[in-house]
Amino acid sequence: MEIAVVGSPEFTLGFQLAGLSHLHNPSDEEAMASVLRTLLNSKEVGIVVVDSASLARLPERLREQLSASVSPTVLGIGTEEDTTLRETIRKAIGVDLWA
Amino acid sequence: MALDIKPTRSELIKLKGRIKQTRNGYKLLKMKRDGLFHEFRTLLTEMIAAKQELTDAYRLAKTRIDLANAIEGGLAVRAAAIANSAHPEVEVERRNIMGVVVPNVSGTNLRSTFEERGIGFIGSSPYIDEASDAFGDLIEKMVKAAEMEATLKRLLQEIEATKRRVNALEFKVIPELEDAKVFIQLRLEEMEREETFRLKRFKNK
Repeated sequence: MEIAVVGSPEFTLGFQLAGLSHLHNPSDEEAMASVLRTLLNSKEVGIVVVDSASLARLPERLREQLSASVSPTVLGIGTEEDTTLRETIRKAIGVDLWA
Repeated sequence: MALDIKPTRSELIKLKGRIKQTRNGYKLLKMKRDGLFHEFRTLLTEMIAAKQELTDAYRLAKTRIDLANAIEGGLAVRAAAIANSAHPEVEVERRNIMGVVVPNVSGTNLRSTFEERGIGFIGSSPYIDEASDAFGDLIEKMVKAAEMEATLKRLLQEIEATKRRVNALEFKVIPELEDAKVFIQLRLEEMEREETFRLKRFKNK
């Protein structure tokens, strides 16, 4: 299974330098949403890496789908820590255990 | 609750059996929920550390690639990226935690070797090499974090479902069965009293 990277060319460049070739550079948020929807249904992708800043700008419904997906697992990476998992835990358990 | 039950002794015996069985199931589910939660808490501590490491690794990798871009130029970094022939892949196997199937992610070829980088000694730059190494390190951490995140999500789904089942048994199923039991008992006592009264009336006649 492959590792897919979605984000701006600046974000994907480093991953390309490390050898990843499944890169997507959507031009706007709509294109990004459609790329992520396609990747969610892909059986060849095990991990989807997304820029956490772009992830925060996506529609709420899609964000929920992404955070619930196990195969592929969607990882938000950025200079700020991604809080989607924290939110999922808070919703499921009812308490914020992330401390 | 619709009391469409036959108030007979055999029905009462059946109902008592069902209550006992339901209580057993409730206890087992409660133990499963607690076990899953314990597993979840252990993993969560590791996950918090892994996420922090991931963010730190990304910050470092970003600094390195920015430095490479600034010193070697964007074109050189892009050329080095295109030349890389390494192909990191992940394999997803399955393992079982208390009946919950969770993925076991392992990566192959996550770090590219010098040959795979395809830029040779002359075209190579320490800044680009450092950036490439930092991103290789980041990918390794990503694979670990992805496995843990997927496991946590699966555990969360199972905890939620078990919690709902436990609550349904505790607050809906068992009280309804208990009500039905009380109803049959009261009805049987009532029938017994009616029978005694009828017998007394026959005796008097």
